[in-house]
Amino acid sequence: MKAKSLFLILTVFLTVTIALTLTHVVYAKQLHIVTTYNYIASITQQITGKNATVTSLASPQFDPHYIVPKPSYIAKLRDADLLIINGAQLEIGWLPPLVRQANNPLIQTGKIGFLDLSQFVKKIEVPAAVSRAQGDIHPEGNPHFYLDPYNILLLAQAIYERLCAIAPENKVLYTENFTAFTNRWKQKVAEWDASMKKMHGTKVIEYHKLYDYFLVRYGITLAATIEPLPGIPPTSKHIATLEEIMPDVSLILQDVYHPDDAAGYLSKKYAKPVIVLPHDVGATKDVTDIFTLFDSIVRRITHD
Amino acid sequence: MKHLQIYSIFLTMLLVLSLSLPLSYSHLYAQETLTNISDPFSQSKFVPDIAVIVDLGYAYNSQKDFDTYERPGFIHHHDAEEHHEHGFFQDNGFNFNYAEISFYAPVDPFFDLFSVVHAGTDGAEIEEAYFTTLQLPWGFKIKGGKFLSAIGRINDRHAHYWDFTDLPLVYQAFFGSQLNEIGVQVNWLAPLPFYLLIGGEILKGENEASFGTEGFAPGTPYSAVEDAEYPNVCTSYIKTSFDLGNFTLLLGASGIYGKTRTNHSIDTAGGHAFYGTSYIAGADITLRYDVSSYQYIALQSEYLYRYKNGDLYENSGGTITKDDFTAKQSGLYSQLIVRTGKVTRLGLRYDLLAKNDMSDNHEAKENLPRYTAMAEYNPTEFSRFRIQYSYDKSLYDEYGYNKINHQIIVQCNLSIGAHGAHSF
Repeated sequence: MKAKSLFLILTVFLTVTIALTLTHVVYAKQLHIVTTYNYIASITQQITGKNATVTSLASPQFDPHYIVPKPSYIAKLRDADLLIINGAQLEIGWLPPLVRQANNPLIQTGKIGFLDLSQFVKKIEVPAAVSRAQGDIHPEGNPHFYLDPYNILLLAQAIYERLCAIAPENKVLYTENFTAFTNRWKQKVAEWDASMKKMHGTKVIEYHKLYDYFLVRYGITLAATIEPLPGIPPTSKHIATLEEIMPDVSLILQDVYHPDDAAGYLSKKYAKPVIVLPHDVGATKDVTDIFTLFDSIVRRITHD
Repeated sequence: MKHLQIYSIFLTMLLVLSLSLPLSYSHLYAQETLTNISDPFSQSKFVPDIAVIVDLGYAYNSQKDFDTYERPGFIHHHDAEEHHEHGFFQDNGFNFNYAEISFYAPVDPFFDLFSVVHAGTDGAEIEEAYFTTLQLPWGFKIKGGKFLSAIGRINDRHAHYWDFTDLPLVYQAFFGSQLNEIGVQVNWLAPLPFYLLIGGEILKGENEASFGTEGFAPGTPYSAVEDAEYPNVCTSYIKTSFDLGNFTLLLGASGIYGKTRTNHSIDTAGGHAFYGTSYIAGADITLRYDVSSYQYIALQSEYLYRYKNGDLYENSGGTITKDDFTAKQSGLYSQLIVRTGKVTRLGLRYDLLAKNDMSDNHEAKENLPRYTAMAEYNPTEFSRFRIQYSYDKSLYDEYGYNKINHQIIVQCNLSIGAHGAHSF
């Protein structure tokens, strides 16, 4: 009796597995692209249209440096034909074991199915010497390069070229989409440039060196960061040094995932506004794609 | 003799000549040396990722002789030498636990190689050294070498990634510390929309706490017991996981089978030896909720059951006896970890060795519990300070008296170099 019921359970289990596997194989016919962050997924979707499934791993509510390496991500990576990452060590703390555990030969580093976007842009704040005594620094420079709208076209171009290499049969479609995206993006950049003109010369502080590419692009001066060193939470001593420069600062920039108590304290004491900025698609409700990401940043920072 | 002299003179001349020639012509290529500054044979860029992790601390135990006590039916000290396993905080006062040196790099497009050297004050050993495949199709992967088995929830975790300073009692009881063996592992990631990993291992099976391969001679009138055949242990495991928003559920089940040969001084009075087979089955569950990037709550429980059957030889004052012996034993732990902020973590753990059911057992105690609490301060991901208190009711002295031990540990763990990310 016992053996019989055990056999029954085993049969049911196997049937379910096979059925699920079959449905999965059918659905697997489309090109599967996995991206680490939402903003990459959004650019990729602009180029692929509905011609591919694009899945992003990291939740935009969380610190992009510290994403929980959930086992479900391994299952997503297993089926990927292409993995697109930000690179410059932004994913170093969570992605490598996932890629290793995905048992997927297509997306190993060096393969055509692995694309590191950081190679296609010029990075700022590249440290001359690297030591963890300076905090959790990135040896290759600041990895948040996608927050400069001018860099987005370089990234889109890299993604477009890789897609054409992987699926040459779709090249016509990709080229059409990429050209349309480029034109629309250039238009939007002109709008953002115009809105941001009045911000030139403004002095700000931010929690982490997150918006630096955007600030450099629009001539905004970063006076200090709320964290004393990258990855180290603010100390009272550091807050005291911030208080000395606060009278000259006009805005306090805050992301959605760091604690905002230090920003709140400085804002209250010195009557300077705290501007919460999205850092990725989905970080705030109004940001639904790569266009609205910059729409939102520009609108928030210019108070429009 | 003469030949030798001529030969040495010749050699000396050759040496002088070879030294003087470049010197006399040095003006000819001095310029070349200055302009040609490339280093065509340097391979320094191929240095693998290297990390060094140092772990040390201070321990206080209310039972000064805690290290001589037993956990009846599970861990005993008939022969301290043989039971030498690398447990941490084995002494009162300051403890240097280990310096772990790990290396990782791809070998070529087909294999990754990992190696971990575990060094203590009295020597170093290879804790792990294994390759993994990178190119196998259909979701397969093979691992080979010396490695921590993938059974259970925490068996393949290195010490610096443990949530407490020590392993749960059931791991200590069934594996000495962890099941770390030489062998081959194959795992398969099912092509499903959710995570389902199925794997198996064939291992040498020298782990003495549950298995062991070396035969022994019990003494007259019994004939010697032969060595177990290699490979001696095989395992299988299945793991699956589901997400619901910021909730993550991870479930696992594993089984281990192997021959057991243990010899605890059968040739001296009071000694005993065992010849038989052991089966271990385990199940684990982890439920984690991520509140924010820097805060989470994780509940983790694991249960392991061992069935051991065979011949028990005992030496009672020179007379050797042999009996059929069956032991059904189990253990579990349940822990709650709360990360309250970027730098702080708190944890509670309940540990139990239970179901201590043995066919000949006068000393077995029903339940052996332990309660542990810990608090951590992590200035960065590379440094950790932990204080841990445990109330241990599982220890008994040689006369069978329960010896309650209050243990306080202050632990410090620091790492430098290319410290890799951890899996879930």
